Amino acid sequence: MTKTTRSTSELPAYLSHELRNALACIQQFGSILVDGLAGELSGEQREYLGIMLENASKIRRVLDSALDGTDGSLEERTNKIERVPKLET
Amino acid sequence: MDKTKILVVDDNPTIRKGLNVRLRANGYEVLFAEDAISATAALVTERPDLVILDLGLPCGDGFVVMERLQKNDRLANIPVIVLTGRELAGNRDRALQAGAAAFFQKPVEDGNLLFAIRKALDLSRGELRFDE
Repeated sequence: MTKTTRSTSELPAYLSHELRNALACIQQFGSILVDGLAGELSGEQREYLGIMLENASKIRRVLDSALDGTDGSLEERTNKIERVPKLET
Repeated sequence: MDKTKILVVDDNPTIRKGLNVRLRANGYEVLFAEDAISATAALVTERPDLVILDLGLPCGDGFVVMERLQKNDRLANIPVIVLTGRELAGNRDRALQAGAAAFFQKPVEDGNLLFAIRKALDLSRGELRFDE
């Protein structure tokens, strides 16, 4: 199916897949740089990358809200392991 | 002692590359598959300690991989963390019911993914116990 014939009902799934994968790449490699896994950064470089990552997170929250109706919190984006009963001590 | 082996199943080469860097930096050995068929083969031949699984894959989707894994007694206890670009509706609950230890939508914070990996590994190794 071409983009021009993609139905309205399929649009959310298409947008979710395409935008989330692109955003994941930005977030992954941005955090790799910030964490120094590809070499040391200057303070200024780290600051600018931090700005980029903050704004990538804003886009993610907009996506979460628009496509899934959530606020982007971890609980809503779900993690089964987070919901297991408390650990024995 | 052998490194913990994680199989990353994703058809996006950039995602695979990013996860490779992050997981190796945290001491894991990383293997890759880019479709459901090669993922199933890697599960049998490599028997990873954990799988990070995308749902949208060529040659069958992530649910097919989980179904094959659950049907194999030797592989059924390998924890699966789903990491997908798909919507929550129709995918989250289905993935958890299919046996996924955790479900994340992309993009995931590295700390959250690494935490889930550690927890899932601990659980699969029986190193954690829970209250009733």
